[in-house]
Amino acid sequence: MPTIIFVAADGTTREVAAATDQSIMEVALGAGVPGIVAECNGAAACATCHCYFDPAYVGHIGEAGEHENEMLDFTASERTADSRLSCQVRIVAAMEGMTVRVPSAQ
Amino acid sequence: MASAAPVITDVSYTDLLEDPYPVFKRVRDTAPAVFVAAANLTLVTRFDDIMSIERDPATYSSDNPASLVNKVMGPTFMRKDGAAHATGRKAIEPSFRPGTIKEHWAPKFTEICERLIGALREAGEADLFSALAAPMASLSLMEMIGFKAMPWQTLAEWSQSLIDGAGNYARDAEIDRKAMEAGAGIDAAIEAVLDHHRANPNPSILSSMVHADPPMPIEEMRANIKVIIGGGLNEPRDAILTLTLGLLENSAQKESVLARPELWPTAFEEAIRWISPIGMYPRRVTRPVDLAGVALPEGVQIGLCVGAANRDDRRFTEPDRFDMFRPKQSHLAFGAGAHFCAGTWVSRQTVGRIVVPMLFERLSNLRLRDDAPPVIRGWVFRGPVSLPVRWDA
Repeated sequence: MPTIIFVAADGTTREVAAATDQSIMEVALGAGVPGIVAECNGAAACATCHCYFDPAYVGHIGEAGEHENEMLDFTASERTADSRLSCQVRIVAAMEGMTVRVPSAQ
Repeated sequence: MASAAPVITDVSYTDLLEDPYPVFKRVRDTAPAVFVAAANLTLVTRFDDIMSIERDPATYSSDNPASLVNKVMGPTFMRKDGAAHATGRKAIEPSFRPGTIKEHWAPKFTEICERLIGALREAGEADLFSALAAPMASLSLMEMIGFKAMPWQTLAEWSQSLIDGAGNYARDAEIDRKAMEAGAGIDAAIEAVLDHHRANPNPSILSSMVHADPPMPIEEMRANIKVIIGGGLNEPRDAILTLTLGLLENSAQKESVLARPELWPTAFEEAIRWISPIGMYPRRVTRPVDLAGVALPEGVQIGLCVGAANRDDRRFTEPDRFDMFRPKQSHLAFGAGAHFCAGTWVSRQTVGRIVVPMLFERLSNLRLRDDAPPVIRGWVFRGPVSLPVRWDA
């Protein structure tokens, strides 16, 4: 159960112990992390679970697929090189201590 | 302890069709789930309850063996859960990607819209339902599916016949016959273009289906195209009219969006919150469950009234008002969960960025008619069925 650190837009942090069979979005919703809407509940169709991921973990996070990549162009908050849809990122043990920044708008 | 769903018997089906919002409010204020006799369905109307239901598809299934949708259309992905749904959904995904919409579909839809508005410009007055919204929705859906060109009325009639058939709980023989006839017409239209799409991969939905890995079986293609026709024509049509109506009735907001075109997406989202084109869709309860204090027995059909949730005053202040400047809040007009509307991005682009902006830009001094007020109808599907307007020709 790696610990994921969610950082809200106002800087407040929230540490959540995450089961490895889940997506970051599912972990966030389960723990009631504010700022992640996830209207489509993981279908990569709504772009409302957008987060910024720590590039140090990119090897474990993986790359966005073609569909997700296009969806990321339509996020409410600015897309950066660290942007991913959190529903498409699966938790692995090596994500211990990883920081996930939640944008100010979805 | 959870108690049984309360029952409302003094509401008529006509009440629901003409103006469901007072009924929705009464249900919302009564309990999380209420059996409404006129609808023959247990209705769920609060925003948070619908959101939590849509996050629990194992308990609240889209699959229903008795579904009329499946009887009329065949094995559609709209009435499946989990992996069976996801495979079909993934197959059509390439046609609906935001980038594909922007680069491929938007220019085509802009052309259709220019033609339609160009043709009615000199008339000085029109009913926007038949003069713009219905042909626009039909012709663009035709292109997107990958059908050969046909009169817009044909696809619109097929769509209506399928919808009527799927809601034909009284088993009216004529409605059944028309739905079957529409189904046969659609099967033939698919057959006519399938070889072409197989040989020439392109962004159309039929092409995505035949080139999916694995390719979609033909009976699923037929069923899913029918769902897309039944569910992909009314909604953009009604959203075009609702957004137009909202702005025409609120001139200050209209002036704002005309002065600041970057506000169009906000205006669009508010329009479909205000009068959601799909007002209700069903789910089936798979095990005895407590929904926020109401006991729902296994097997019961519930109607998720997103049209009611989008006017839930627990979430939206003054929910009955069209107010594009209300605080940004997500709504349920596109549903939630795995069945979240596949056409979300195409409708945002078509309705909110192409059709309605062009309408206000090209028809100057567009206004409602005092002598012919708009008519809005429906509760399962809701929108203006007539929107007579005038402009300075």
